[in-house]
Amino acid sequence: MGIISVEKADHLFWLGRYTERVFTTLRKFFHVYDNMIDTQEIERLYGEYCERLSIPNIYTADTFVQKYLFDEENPDSMRANMERAYDNAVVLRDELTSNALAYIQLSLDVLKSAEGKGAPIFKLQPVIDYLFAFWGCIDDYVENEECRNILKAGKYLERLDLYLRLEYHTKDIEKEFCKLEKRLVKSGLPVNTKKLNRLKAIIAKEEEWSSCYFEALSCLGGILEVM
Amino acid sequence: MNELMEHTQEINNLLSRYGVKFGIYKNNTFHEQLFPFDAVPRVITHEEYVKLEKGLIQRVDALNLFLKDIYTDKKIIKDGIVPEDFVFLSSGYLPQCEGIVPPKGIFSHISGIDLVQAKDKSWYILEDNLRVPSGASYPLIARELCRRASPKTFRNNKIVDNRNYHKLLRSTMENVNCGGISVIMTPGRYNAAYFEHSYLAERSGCVLAMCNDLFVEKNRLYYRDYKGDKQQVGAIYRRISDEYLDPLTFYSQSLIGVPGIMDAYRAGNVAIINAPGNGVADDKGIYYFVPKMIKYYLGEEPILRNAPTYLPFYEEDRKYVLEHLDKLVIKDVAEAGGYGVVFGSDLSKEQLEDMKKLVEKESRRFIAQEVIDFLDLKIMDEDGALVPRKADLRAFVLSGEATKVWPSGLTRFSRNPDSFVVNSSQGGGFKDTWVLSQ
Repeated sequence: MGIISVEKADHLFWLGRYTERVFTTLRKFFHVYDNMIDTQEIERLYGEYCERLSIPNIYTADTFVQKYLFDEENPDSMRANMERAYDNAVVLRDELTSNALAYIQLSLDVLKSAEGKGAPIFKLQPVIDYLFAFWGCIDDYVENEECRNILKAGKYLERLDLYLRLEYHTKDIEKEFCKLEKRLVKSGLPVNTKKLNRLKAIIAKEEEWSSCYFEALSCLGGILEVM
Repeated sequence: MNELMEHTQEINNLLSRYGVKFGIYKNNTFHEQLFPFDAVPRVITHEEYVKLEKGLIQRVDALNLFLKDIYTDKKIIKDGIVPEDFVFLSSGYLPQCEGIVPPKGIFSHISGIDLVQAKDKSWYILEDNLRVPSGASYPLIARELCRRASPKTFRNNKIVDNRNYHKLLRSTMENVNCGGISVIMTPGRYNAAYFEHSYLAERSGCVLAMCNDLFVEKNRLYYRDYKGDKQQVGAIYRRISDEYLDPLTFYSQSLIGVPGIMDAYRAGNVAIINAPGNGVADDKGIYYFVPKMIKYYLGEEPILRNAPTYLPFYEEDRKYVLEHLDKLVIKDVAEAGGYGVVFGSDLSKEQLEDMKKLVEKESRRFIAQEVIDFLDLKIMDEDGALVPRKADLRAFVLSGEATKVWPSGLTRFSRNPDSFVVNSSQGGGFKDTWVLSQ
């Protein structure tokens, strides 16, 4: 412990991203699921959701819920994203501790066991709880500050990406940008300052926001240099 | 004890929560499997343990002396105790290790010695594992959970605390550290024992490294961090086989080794744990000679017995083996993990004939042993009933400043009532091993 290799840094960063992807999209999905009750245009609803996330719309009104949440073969499903989080976490036991790793294992177990059981919001609530617990463990148990910073850089980068795509309120986006910027500096990851500054400028200019949407995503995508 | 057994399922649930698994390849696909835990412990009395401890230390000390001798003076061959065929034809003998004496002369730092107990309660050594023996992590974490499940059981029984394995491991590594950090090297998460690698790194505080994290420069081994800084490695507990360790010395196609690590080792700049080349001493053929080694190197009578073993390589033994094949167990010396083990009693007439021909043709490839009537241990079956099953014990002996036996071990059992094979890869489970302090 105490020294982080390139490979570990990469796993830490992507663990942060995948756990956040599951966490935020699952909470968003809970809203989409609720909205589907009141609309006749279910296809339009999930179609827009897919478009925002840049994932292929391979669903029908009948298959969307099961396939988006649980399909192991669908690389964009919640289950597949949790599997990727697990893949990155399982090689980091010595950094994360067994206690923190257990919450990733438990989240994945829930996603596996909930398939086809009905009432997915009830069944998947523990995933949200476990991911909160996971981040609590990271703060409490992970001694290496660099390790925490890289994990959180991944988390906030993913969160900002999702908030931009899912049109969160500007105040939320600004808040998440600040968190990301601080973590990137602390983490020592190689940052592309030009792109970081450009993103900052776009986020600060609220009025031109919609015209710069794709540019903002592109800046965020290129904010880190290859290690 | 009943309280502990009542919580078997909960203990298994917690083992699952903590990812206590082993990997297995089936039809070329990697699967992670849970290692079923049975809460009924194996109990070793204080008196039994004192004898076992002495016998195990004696055996491992002799094996370490054998390894040093084989890679330097070869006195045991010159004195006619071990035939040279058994050394130089062994796949575990590595000519590339000739003349290398590792730091402090220790070759086998972590030895896994497999034993069985016969119905008359006597212990027999089944095999020595001196390369990368695995399994200590399972009883280590299981004990933690058992204590949570039933504190009363542990308060009321005088059980030696075994939760120090990681400290023993760390001190064993530090004892031979040549200057620098200590790392545990894993081939990655698709290795059967990956859980163990990562858990021992977590508990011991060693850095868990993969081959890409390590490099050799001017005969020194380094660990590279993500900022481009490097740290010298003084001791490496490698959990990969010798042949993959260094593509410049051994298997040139290896993608999981560290090019040049053998040069750093040869120069005395890093301790490799366990030393490369140890396979020559845990070869199933060499096993036959271990009692002779004990007498030769230590001038002592062996405290622990081998299972009665025959070497078809010797004419007299071959004759006996061919005549009694249906009552013996035949082991292919090149196989491990419960593979290559054939019980003569399970073979049809035609299969027995085929096996006889094979033994005659490739006599060096096999050993034959009398089937030991194992003492069955009780396990709890799915209905909660106690049923007898075959079990073995892997004892862990750590050679650091002194040779020490970890007061515990991995007790594996067969879940199949008709099987003697206890390996996890073949569906076996495991138990806690209690050593009583008085």
